[in-house]
Amino acid sequence: MSHPYTIPSHQITPLATLTPSSTTRSWQTQPHPTLPIIASASSDKTVRIYSLTSFTLLSNITGGHKRSIRSCAWKPNTKGESVLATGSFDTSAGIWRRWDVEGEGVRSEYDFTRAAKGDGSDGEEEDDEEWRFSVILDGHESEIKGVAWSAGGQYLATCSRDKSVWIWEELEEDNFETVAVLQEHEGDVKCVTWHPQEDLLASGSYDDTIRLYREDLDDWSCVAVLNGHGATVWSLAFEPVGNKKWLSEVEGLSGEQQALLEEREKSGSRLISCSDDKSIRVWRRRPKEESVGSNHKGGMPSILRTNSIEEDWYEEARLPQTHERAIYALDWSKKSGMVVSTGSDGKIIVYKERWKESSPTTDTAKDGEQLPDAPTQDSPTASTEWYVVAELEGGHDVFEINHVCWAARRDKDKRFEDEEVIISTGDDGEVKVWALEQG
Amino acid sequence: MSDVQLYLLEVDRNKQEATAIAINSAKKLANKQLKLLDLIQSLAEYLNNDEGPIRGKTMSYLAEVLQAVPPKLLSGQQRNLLCDFLLSRIASDTEGIGAGAKALLTLEERGQWDQKRASQVMNTFIDHTHPLLQFKQQSERYPILLLMDLLMAKYRNAILVLHEEGQDFMPRFNAYFDGEKDPRNLMIVFSILRVAMTEWNISPNAQELFEAVFNYFPITFRPPPDDPYGITSQDLKDRLRACLSASAYFAPYSIPHLLDKLDSTAMNTKRDVLQTLFSCVQNYGPRTINLYSVTLWDAIKFEVLHPSEEDLVDEALSVLGETAKQLSLASNESLLAYLKPAAKECNEHLEDAPTKQSQAATRMLRSLSASSPLASNFLCSVVVPNIFSLYQSSDNTAKRRALVDTLSELIKANVDVFGEWRRGPITSPQDITNSLQTFSAQSLDTLTSAFLSVPTKEVSFRLSLLNALLQLTKVRGLLTDDQIFKTIKLVNQVIISEESYGKDEVKAAAINGLVEIAHQKPQLVIEHAFPDFMAKLPDKDVEGPEAYVPILEAFAKLATEDKVFDTVVVRLKNKLSSAIQQRASAVYIKAILSALLFAFSQGARDLHGTAEHCPYFDDFLQPLVRKTCLETDSTHPDDTIFYLVGRISNEILRRQTPEFQSTISDQIYKLWLGSGEIGTNASPPDASVSEQPRLIISTHLLAAFNQDVSLPFDLQELIISMVTFALRDNISRGVRIALLQQISLIINKFVKTKDTRPVIEAVLQSPLNFISPEQLNKSSIRVVFAIFKALILRNAPGVNSIFASLCEALTDVESGTAVAHGFSTLLQPDEILIKENHCNLSPLHKQKTFAVFMPSVLSGFKSAAPEVKKNYLIALSGMLRWLPYAVLEPQLLSLIPLLLQTLDIVGEEDVKIGTIDTLADVLRQKPNAVEEHTSSLITRLLNNSSARTNPPKVRARALQCLTLAPAAMRTELVIPFRKQVVKRLTAALDDSRRIVRLEAVRCRAKWIELDEAGDDDEEE
Amino acid sequence: MEENKDNANPIILSASDLPSRLREGVTKERKDGGTGLFDGLIPAYGYPYDPFELPSSPSAISSDDENEVVEAIDEQEVYDLIATICDPEHPLSLGSLSVVNLPDIHITGPSSPRSKISTVLVEITPTITHCSLATVIGLGVRVRLEQALPPRFRVDVRIKEGTHSTADAVNKQLGDKERVAAALENGTLMGVLRKMLSTCE
Repeated sequence: MSHPYTIPSHQITPLATLTPSSTTRSWQTQPHPTLPIIASASSDKTVRIYSLTSFTLLSNITGGHKRSIRSCAWKPNTKGESVLATGSFDTSAGIWRRWDVEGEGVRSEYDFTRAAKGDGSDGEEEDDEEWRFSVILDGHESEIKGVAWSAGGQYLATCSRDKSVWIWEELEEDNFETVAVLQEHEGDVKCVTWHPQEDLLASGSYDDTIRLYREDLDDWSCVAVLNGHGATVWSLAFEPVGNKKWLSEVEGLSGEQQALLEEREKSGSRLISCSDDKSIRVWRRRPKEESVGSNHKGGMPSILRTNSIEEDWYEEARLPQTHERAIYALDWSKKSGMVVSTGSDGKIIVYKERWKESSPTTDTAKDGEQLPDAPTQDSPTASTEWYVVAELEGGHDVFEINHVCWAARRDKDKRFEDEEVIISTGDDGEVKVWALEQG
Repeated sequence: MSDVQLYLLEVDRNKQEATAIAINSAKKLANKQLKLLDLIQSLAEYLNNDEGPIRGKTMSYLAEVLQAVPPKLLSGQQRNLLCDFLLSRIASDTEGIGAGAKALLTLEERGQWDQKRASQVMNTFIDHTHPLLQFKQQSERYPILLLMDLLMAKYRNAILVLHEEGQDFMPRFNAYFDGEKDPRNLMIVFSILRVAMTEWNISPNAQELFEAVFNYFPITFRPPPDDPYGITSQDLKDRLRACLSASAYFAPYSIPHLLDKLDSTAMNTKRDVLQTLFSCVQNYGPRTINLYSVTLWDAIKFEVLHPSEEDLVDEALSVLGETAKQLSLASNESLLAYLKPAAKECNEHLEDAPTKQSQAATRMLRSLSASSPLASNFLCSVVVPNIFSLYQSSDNTAKRRALVDTLSELIKANVDVFGEWRRGPITSPQDITNSLQTFSAQSLDTLTSAFLSVPTKEVSFRLSLLNALLQLTKVRGLLTDDQIFKTIKLVNQVIISEESYGKDEVKAAAINGLVEIAHQKPQLVIEHAFPDFMAKLPDKDVEGPEAYVPILEAFAKLATEDKVFDTVVVRLKNKLSSAIQQRASAVYIKAILSALLFAFSQGARDLHGTAEHCPYFDDFLQPLVRKTCLETDSTHPDDTIFYLVGRISNEILRRQTPEFQSTISDQIYKLWLGSGEIGTNASPPDASVSEQPRLIISTHLLAAFNQDVSLPFDLQELIISMVTFALRDNISRGVRIALLQQISLIINKFVKTKDTRPVIEAVLQSPLNFISPEQLNKSSIRVVFAIFKALILRNAPGVNSIFASLCEALTDVESGTAVAHGFSTLLQPDEILIKENHCNLSPLHKQKTFAVFMPSVLSGFKSAAPEVKKNYLIALSGMLRWLPYAVLEPQLLSLIPLLLQTLDIVGEEDVKIGTIDTLADVLRQKPNAVEEHTSSLITRLLNNSSARTNPPKVRARALQCLTLAPAAMRTELVIPFRKQVVKRLTAALDDSRRIVRLEAVRCRAKWIELDEAGDDDEEE
Repeated sequence: MEENKDNANPIILSASDLPSRLREGVTKERKDGGTGLFDGLIPAYGYPYDPFELPSSPSAISSDDENEVVEAIDEQEVYDLIATICDPEHPLSLGSLSVVNLPDIHITGPSSPRSKISTVLVEITPTITHCSLATVIGLGVRVRLEQALPPRFRVDVRIKEGTHSTADAVNKQLGDKERVAAALENGTLMGVLRKMLSTCE
């Protein structure tokens, strides 16, 4: 409402609806880091694995969980094997393994028929046997809402309605150890996500805050609290590595603009968050003078050890408010730097960041949002703005959309290298794949 | 070998044989082959045998012999001898004690004992067989108990003496039965003890006696499957209750004990306690109850104020009421001592009305004041003033309504005890003046003024006020005629001049109220209500119906009150004639006729006449018919007017004797018009358009006639002419139906069985030859079915062949569908062919018809061409919808596939509705019959629930039917469809029509529940 | 039992005072100002009735135009759906306890021509400000509506302003989709809800 409506430059066009779909609410869908497959967590207590080449069901992971599976996450950097973590309302997290098969996509036809049969409540059949339920992680007192692997795959974070965030470390295969139980939040912890380069964990909560944690003298503790959202924080995403290029590629950057980019370089990946308050906010770390240019390499210079590990994050920008109801999910593209969001209003919206032409003073006004805690004195005058690239109404007909994310396009009609698709997951149980097209 | 030896040998092996031996010995005694003395002697050695069992069996031998000897055989002396013998044995040896008791019972049966003997028997048992439970066999103890019961019943004094002289008797007697558990025995124990409890002075032993029985409280017992002794848990409860309430001496123990059992959480115990308390209160007598009245109040009010179950509240209320009733018998003081705190508390609860507890208080006040005139008087005197002050001090409608309701309840109770105008009080109040008098004026004014001032939208409040007013008018001798007259005025106003609002609940209530007043005070209503009504009823209607319909309704309703019936009829009749004279609109005339029809059909007057005389005939019926025919608008006659007149005539005439009916049978077509008849000569008459509707009246006259009234016409000719008449297309729908109905009537009622065939042939075969395909058309089909129905109902010969040809006709591409629809008329409940109209109705005609019909349809359907298959389905469902489920059950297996296909027909909503209803019946009664079609049933219902081609009615019905499935069918069958159904129903949730959405919601809820039941959640 | 109920003695309204379409049932408003006393006189299928002219056949009143009529889902209909829900501690309906009230139900149509989403806002009024069951009641209302309204409706259930001590907390819970979803998988809670939803009609 607040932002002036400009005709979006892109269109979100339907590519496919993955079939067969769950008949009840699906919560979340995650693309595999390397293979052309995705995992979709459903309230029917199962996870469906679909092919991104044939858009059909490959297998249905059943058993193991007694209640809705709320979230799932692929372990990065695995060799010859896929590892999936699931978080369920039954308070437990599960770890599933499967040996990778050659040419995943090819088997789809064959799998489709089997899946069709195996689909539904009783599915402990041969098409699932390849998925081994390897270990169950107990500890949370109530529903698990989110699971996330650290960039290196060393740590697994889980969060729950019991207000706690747990960090697990996989010592050797299937032997997980609780390395931290973080009880910082005052309400359900809705989501967790890891920094792409640092062992820095972020969590968003029912208490409206975002908290950041890192390990200090092998003891995990909260290093920052991000206040600002007026309601539950539903989802978080860190800025992918090398994202700045979208701004730097522009011809003839002004001095200020260069300055801003360097400033950001020091800050490292930004954090973006969406909330029940219908806002999406971008958070940025105020660089520590000592740590000039060092933090993007991860692992900090030893001189810093003595310093306090407290970090200072501030709200750098607010995205145009286009959603009319709670925003449930967002994702930050690794390839295009665009952000996609969705929520209760059933809309899917794509945003992009660009340089602002006009002078800073009027800029902020243009976004309609004043940023009180945005630093005025030490910030460079050059600034960027977020705008809506594409907007889609009723992505899942009249149903709410619970999750949206980017994934590399893998079907035969792929148009260009690094093309991405948007994957949305809805209350109608369906998982849909969308392409982003010019004009 | 002696008989006893033989007996001893047999008894264990073969009981009958043994008995036979005993009987044989009895014979010997009878014919003097054997002397009693010898017999006894022969027993001696076995009775002294070392082995108990032998001695026991010997006793039973003796018992059986005695039972077998003819009544008069044994002399008094012999009997005495035997008694002595038995008693001495019992004193020395209790083996075979049961048999001993049996023997004694037999002896007593053969001749009364004297008191001495009776007490001797009692003593012997109490002294030597104490405690009874030492005998493990129920069959041993049972006869002893019977014996004791006998003594208690027939020798009261003897036993009483024992009790009064031996001071230790009572305890021993009481303890004697300790620990009895067998229900059969307990029944007797309870009745034995009850005698003692009620008739003896048990004050010293009251406690132990009480405890002896209270140990069993609350008693429960589940009879064994085949229930061999026919004793129910209830029998035991009743007997036990009788004991506990037997003596006022128990009060000190029973009331406290019962009251703390009242705290039990088991509903059955609570129920038991309350019922027992009730009979205690009833039996202990006022003086005793007086001591506990307040205790009772404090404990039992709780059950009403904090109800656990509805029926318990009623039990509690009746205990409270009974207490008040008893106390009113004692003294005014004790009654007040009880009522004062009650009244006080109730008054307090009323302060924050309307609440749960103010409602409870009201119920308590009702049952307390209904207990006696005294109670009612007191409560009125302390509660009514409070009600008024609360009422005045509040302007909250909800509160005021609640208070008025409480007032009504108090007045109702007052009516219960002081009676109403038409009925005296139940308990005649010994010249007690009704203290409600004091408040009658105030109540009347408050209620009246409130009613006048409340806005019409306050429906429930106005209803409460109206109700309270009516209660007031009821109370015997409370209001003066003048006051009642005021109320009548008030009610009239509502009926006559009040704007219609919402569902006019208040108007309806007012009308019923007026009827009630008319019941109490007929004269007043006639004098005061009727003039207003008549004044308001126009002669010629200028305004719309709302001006007169309410009044006519009131009139009609009043006719249900016998004392005013005549007046109602006369007034309406006059109004009708002036309306006709003034050329009032048909709508108005029909309204008046409807009121009259209501009066005659639902009214209180018995219309039966004699051979010579028929009530309302000369002065009402004839003129009515004549006026209708001659004076109503003849240019555009209105069928419905004639229909209503016909119905009224029918109501009157069908109750008349055949003799009388015969005297007017010639008027069926003359209608007392003196002019010629319509439509009775073989060649179709040229009844003018204005005259044709008269046939509608004729039909109802014909319908009213008894079978054995001989009609002065040639029936065949008559039918033919009706038929030809009915074929015309220039006649109104009403007239055509009338003609068809006449055809049915004549064939069903008046044509003799032997003549049916020729008559039918005349129509179906030559000359008219209707049944032949080329003759079949919309009109002829109607005729055929009219005839066919008449025949089926009387189960006449020749039905089957017609059936065959009609099923044949279903294949006709032209008229097939019309024929198919005809089938639905066959079994459809008819308005004319009913037993009130003296028709021939064979009780089994439905079954028979179906039996003939089913096979031909099934085979026909199979062989039929695709384009006409539909006709068979239509015909089928047309039949089924009127058949009781039981009739079609045997055929279900072959039926269901057809039914399901019927659901695919497009259009034909009635057919679909019929089919869906049948399927619903199946789901209710025999769900497993559709099991194998589960999937097709569910999908078809889903389709019909959302198909826009279906009218809303069908969509809703489909949903109703689908709602039944989850409960009716086996879970494992429906579970697989759960998600699909729940998902697809969201379409119906968004239907454009409310009725459909409503059903969709219900249906979906059922399926979702199934879902929850489905996943077994082991939960925290 | 009774004594430890949050509110053992609530105010009760008479059912006939509650606005409802249910009681009106199918009988529509009468035009003639009467109570329909005479309707019973004429056979149910009306007069004159000709079985061969069935409603579905064009000659009679065709039911297709019936179909034209669109009765939109309105506040009253929503009220009727939730007023009959049973209070968890009394065998009384939320309507008669005036926990739900017609004026506190608001339906908002789609925000843009492109959107199909409508919103229902129900504000409930607990019988007492510290009612510990407010959340359960709210949940019951939300569940009933999610089950009974087409999915194009978004359901918002809130505590009416100033009628409850911890309104905000309760509202936040009721607004949290995830919590509601989890609650519905909790057998014990579901048991309570099922009882409530098996309406006191």
